[in-house]
Amino acid sequence: MIEAKDVSLIYENGTVALKDVNLHINPGEIVYITGPSGSGKTSLLKLLMGMEYPTHGYLKVMDQVMEKNRAHEIRRMRRKIGPVFQEFKLIRGRTAFENVLLGMRFLDIPPKSMKEYAMEALENVGLQHKASSLVEMLSWGESQRVAIARAIARRPSLILADEPTGNLDVDNAMNIMDLLASFKDANTTVIITTHATHLIDHKKEGTFIRIKNGTLKVEKREVANV
Amino acid sequence: MKNIVYNIGYFFSEARTLLKIDLLPNMLSIISIGLIFFILALVLSGWDIMNFTIDIIEREAEINVYYKEGLSHEDISKLMDSIKSIEGVGAVEMVDEEESYSRMKDILGDEAHILELFEDNPFSPFIEVKINISESESILNRLHELENIDYIRDNKSVIDRLKDIVSVFKIIGLLAVAAVGVSTLMVVSHIIRQGIYNNRDEINTLKLLGAPQIFIDFPFLLEGLFLTLIGGFIASTMIFILLNYGYGQVEMAIPFIPLPSADSVIREVVMFIIVTSGILGIVGSLLGVANQGDN
Repeated sequence: MIEAKDVSLIYENGTVALKDVNLHINPGEIVYITGPSGSGKTSLLKLLMGMEYPTHGYLKVMDQVMEKNRAHEIRRMRRKIGPVFQEFKLIRGRTAFENVLLGMRFLDIPPKSMKEYAMEALENVGLQHKASSLVEMLSWGESQRVAIARAIARRPSLILADEPTGNLDVDNAMNIMDLLASFKDANTTVIITTHATHLIDHKKEGTFIRIKNGTLKVEKREVANV
Repeated sequence: MKNIVYNIGYFFSEARTLLKIDLLPNMLSIISIGLIFFILALVLSGWDIMNFTIDIIEREAEINVYYKEGLSHEDISKLMDSIKSIEGVGAVEMVDEEESYSRMKDILGDEAHILELFEDNPFSPFIEVKINISESESILNRLHELENIDYIRDNKSVIDRLKDIVSVFKIIGLLAVAAVGVSTLMVVSHIIRQGIYNNRDEINTLKLLGAPQIFIDFPFLLEGLFLTLIGGFIASTMIFILLNYGYGQVEMAIPFIPLPSADSVIREVVMFIIVTSGILGIVGSLLGVANQGDN
């Protein structure tokens, strides 16, 4: 699913965001990335989304080599990703339902099923009653949940969620974490960044990546088969 | 493809939103495009009417052959036969003094009383020769070779002048088409680029979600098409009103000038304006959306 070999990301101003990252993530795996602000969590997700390209090293996401000269193929690859952006990136002037639907309009989803998937995703994040509300009328927490609904409605192979619980209360945050984690059962790879370590400390299963100063420390936890 | 069909309603609604978001600039662009197309419609109408008039004049071209005095009926008849045998000559008719006098009376109308000042009929008989204008040169040369001809009156200089005017109109028409094309393309592509800039956040989000470029561009293409088509309709309405009014005035003032029917001119010009506006709208929009990268 994801393979990174000696990947570094150095911005034009010389800032080293990621240094010699080596990573192997399988389909259906759930990955939690933690670390302090500015540690490189968002930079890693940007690399996986093709919003940035490795300065050095080799990165492959869902069989797509991530290189600048492959921008066209990378855009096509993004159709298999369900992204949750830190700043939501919802389209203003549209309702919550329209935003979720818009994320699916160009995918290989049967047109008849799109509205059903969109409504189902809004129900999953507890926002079915806000389906016809304009997104600018929603609170931050609600907007965040619409962004999550847009990602999961797409039936993606890979969910990339950047601080998806940042604006939610603890109960809602736990629910969203559990909801995202549940997609691994459908063989979807889920990668979540968070600085709220208390939300994942109790998790018994998954890959836990701690980033500090652009370097990764990886820990795998597995539930023993009884 | 099935998604494009499914999304047609969405594309139209997005195009409407784009028009509404920048309502004032879009309204001003529509008015500018309408006026530009109106100028083109004026030139095309003039072109169309001129061509028709020249065509009629050419088809009805005739020359008058005055023969020497004192010719017998037999000589005149022989002369007419010789003229008929020339290639490019159509009908050949004898116009006697009385017919000549009567025609001039008709032409002068209310002023015909001036002819009463003459004691005798001042007009001479002549032979009226219908000719093919394209062969006028050779016909005139052959006529000059015939005996018993005193004087030939042709309208060549008038027709040549009209032809010159038509070629000037053609050049003006082509220049107008080129100017309208370039200015419309510039206006439309500028508006589309402005729209793309104003909606850059939404466009970037769609790119990050993996939307194909055609999905992002389609509403902008429709917006450009709407701008020019509405401008084309405005120009068509203006030319419809102007030609109907203008025809009424011209027909009253100079009824003897042959004109094509107003309906046929309006139909041709409106068709051209609508088709051209549609094509320019699409091409202008394509120029506007061009060079949007994958990043």
